[in-house]
Amino acid sequence: MLSYIVSRLFSAFIVIFGVVFIVFMLIHMVPGDPVEVMLGESASVVDREMLRHALGLDLSLPQQFINYLNKLVHFDLGQSLHSKKAISELLSERIVPTLELSIAALLVAFLIAFPLGIMAALKKGKAADTAAMVFSLTGISIPNFLMGPLLILVFAIMLGWFPVSGRDGLSSLVLPALTLGTALAAILSRMIRASLLEVLNEDYIRTARAKGLGTIRVIGLHALKNAMLPVITLIGLQIGALLAGAVITEMVFSWPGLGQLTIESIQKRDYPVVQACILLISTTYVVINTLTDIVYGMLDPRIRISQ
Amino acid sequence: MTPDRLKKWIFVLFISTLAMGLSACNNRSSDSSHAIIRFGISSAPVTLDPLQATDATSARINRLIYETLVEFGEDDLPVPGIASWQQLSQRHYRFKLIKTSWFHHGKKLTANDVKATYEAVLDKKNASPQRNIIAHIQRIEVIDDNTIDFFLSRNDPLFPAFLTIGIMPVDQLAKHHPFNNQPVGSGPFKFSRWPFDGQLFLQRVSDGLTVEFLQVKDPTVRVLKLLRGELDIIQNNLPPEHIAYLKQQKGIGFISRPGSNYIYLGFNLQDPLTGDLQIRKAIAYALDKDKIIQYALGNAAQSARGFFPSRHWLGADLKAYDYNPDRARQIMQLLGYSEHHPLQLSYKTSSDPFRIRIATIIQSQLKKVYIDVDIRSYDWGTFYGDIKKGKFQLYSLTWVGIRTPDIFRYVFHSHSLPPGGANRGRLKDTLVDQLIAQAEQEMDLKKQAQLYRQLQKRLNKLLPYISLWYEDNIAFYRDTIKDYRVSVDGNYDGLITAQKLKGSNKQGSNKK
Repeated sequence: MLSYIVSRLFSAFIVIFGVVFIVFMLIHMVPGDPVEVMLGESASVVDREMLRHALGLDLSLPQQFINYLNKLVHFDLGQSLHSKKAISELLSERIVPTLELSIAALLVAFLIAFPLGIMAALKKGKAADTAAMVFSLTGISIPNFLMGPLLILVFAIMLGWFPVSGRDGLSSLVLPALTLGTALAAILSRMIRASLLEVLNEDYIRTARAKGLGTIRVIGLHALKNAMLPVITLIGLQIGALLAGAVITEMVFSWPGLGQLTIESIQKRDYPVVQACILLISTTYVVINTLTDIVYGMLDPRIRISQ
Repeated sequence: MTPDRLKKWIFVLFISTLAMGLSACNNRSSDSSHAIIRFGISSAPVTLDPLQATDATSARINRLIYETLVEFGEDDLPVPGIASWQQLSQRHYRFKLIKTSWFHHGKKLTANDVKATYEAVLDKKNASPQRNIIAHIQRIEVIDDNTIDFFLSRNDPLFPAFLTIGIMPVDQLAKHHPFNNQPVGSGPFKFSRWPFDGQLFLQRVSDGLTVEFLQVKDPTVRVLKLLRGELDIIQNNLPPEHIAYLKQQKGIGFISRPGSNYIYLGFNLQDPLTGDLQIRKAIAYALDKDKIIQYALGNAAQSARGFFPSRHWLGADLKAYDYNPDRARQIMQLLGYSEHHPLQLSYKTSSDPFRIRIATIIQSQLKKVYIDVDIRSYDWGTFYGDIKKGKFQLYSLTWVGIRTPDIFRYVFHSHSLPPGGANRGRLKDTLVDQLIAQAEQEMDLKKQAQLYRQLQKRLNKLLPYISLWYEDNIAFYRDTIKDYRVSVDGNYDGLITAQKLKGSNKQGSNKK
């Protein structure tokens, strides 16, 4: 088991290093010069060169990369080229709202997806199943940039229950969490339905029923437990996506999260901030996947052996 | 206590805590909105350090925090801010502080602060983007607490117009105070807090009123927040349909003023097609600017003929290229183009949906005069990079906050090719260069204005740009807001006088 964990951690390290390298190279290859964005076109050539030197942008790319890695191993993410704020400070400002939104969205997704998926599986082929899958298809099909304003219109403007946008108390979390959570619920409910349908035909479920167990106990104690493996994988991936990919929802609801920071930094060619954001997002992905792999290995020895 | 009872107590405690937490969170907005004006902005300020600020939002907010030596009058000529001036010789200006000002940390503003501020701008180590425009300051001398002399390395009759940088306290400059996120100025507003990029609080010095600047990128959401009472004022950056919609809403006030932001269509003069003056003329005649202003801009713009509007002291009476598609077609036919053999041009723009919409309208209008336009939209960095490198045929951009004629050298002089200038179209014209040099040397402002008008006529003939329009500055505000006004350059100075009626902080009230 130990060698399995070590090999997973080593793979995770290689992936993170690869991401750091690729992002560093790509961001430096994208057209647009941060020095010109900072100084404007009216700056003299001398001023430009001085700033380029001060920022270390006059060094060769490999040298810049080594300097960047050197700082990284000392946990120094540097500072924003534009606001001059420490990047660690910028990230800490943004990570909390992002986590809040991600957790709330997951909660919304669970609350919708589990009852819906189970009901659809139990009532397969009936009206309830069709209704649940129509909901699911609608949830997947409506993009967040439409779902967000629709929810705002109904729940904030017409009913006046929640604020339109911003991060100001728990009530402001409801609409963005619903926007993100509905789409996730749609995917999850389909997966739960499919996994349950597979499991419900197994012999041990038939045995449980033959023993006289009620539907709730059969589903809760036996079927759901075994149907959860692919669902957990999906949730793991979706958590990563929620942390990184809530940009549209963050924009619509003016939610000061990590996604907005990443996009704004790309537009401003704020290299260090872009690198730090992507490093954080990719590390989260890798950590979640590695943990999933390790837990899988613990639960299912066949996976360990095949490695 | 039995385990069951203990569990019940823990459950009751948990529910009570949760209820109190929710209640506290929900009440936060209504409590904190007391004596607060919430101002919606589309982009957050980047830095509150006047030495480094280049974006419009930072510059507008810095105007509220810091005071400047010089301001601009209605005709865009420099007028005294906190100082008046005298030109003692061609290269020697004396400024006298005419107002007693106090910095927000309690220290009096003196000539030493002015000297320290401008020396900080000139200090190469600070890499200030403002340095280049005042790089001809040779030395600065403090005469007394209220008097300061500037000595220049070359003649500049408009020198005072460049002294618009916010004054910072010398003691804080010496300590390398982080002005970027903890500004200390002497303006009508003092810094309160900046919890994150998109939310900034300032406090009005005169009466303690708080202004919250809240970034809301999406214009639809900005409008909805205004209607719901989560914002009190929104200004500019709204599509025409939102403007029309808001104008019909009860309880929402509207104010507008012609602006000075200049939108133009630029040509690459080194390109064999757009380098042809006849093609540029055909395009100028083919554009129905009035229709674009009416339908795409909701009449929130004024048609432009040159860089400066007519009220500007350099406003010139220029020949108009009025909409005349017949004439445009004639020109194109003479050049050998027809409906079956149209001219192919590419038009580069940013990925901003509004700019793409304008590009599409221009594409449609040019199609009628045998010009097929291929629209290419890119993210800002790529688009701007291509424009500076001269990798374009047609593009459209905006000049924001242009008030002084030094823009002509910067944009049209043959020595101002990027990256050293903004002659992006690569215009090379001896007469243009001569007129710029002559005007710059002329110490009499009236004669200088005449020379600049000649220059504008020459440019209007050469058509390196087609002037499109000046965007109006517009603001919508809830009827609980009084005495807010908009300015020509879209700054936020209206907040200095704005009032919010007492007892009007409740949200969600906008009955039609």
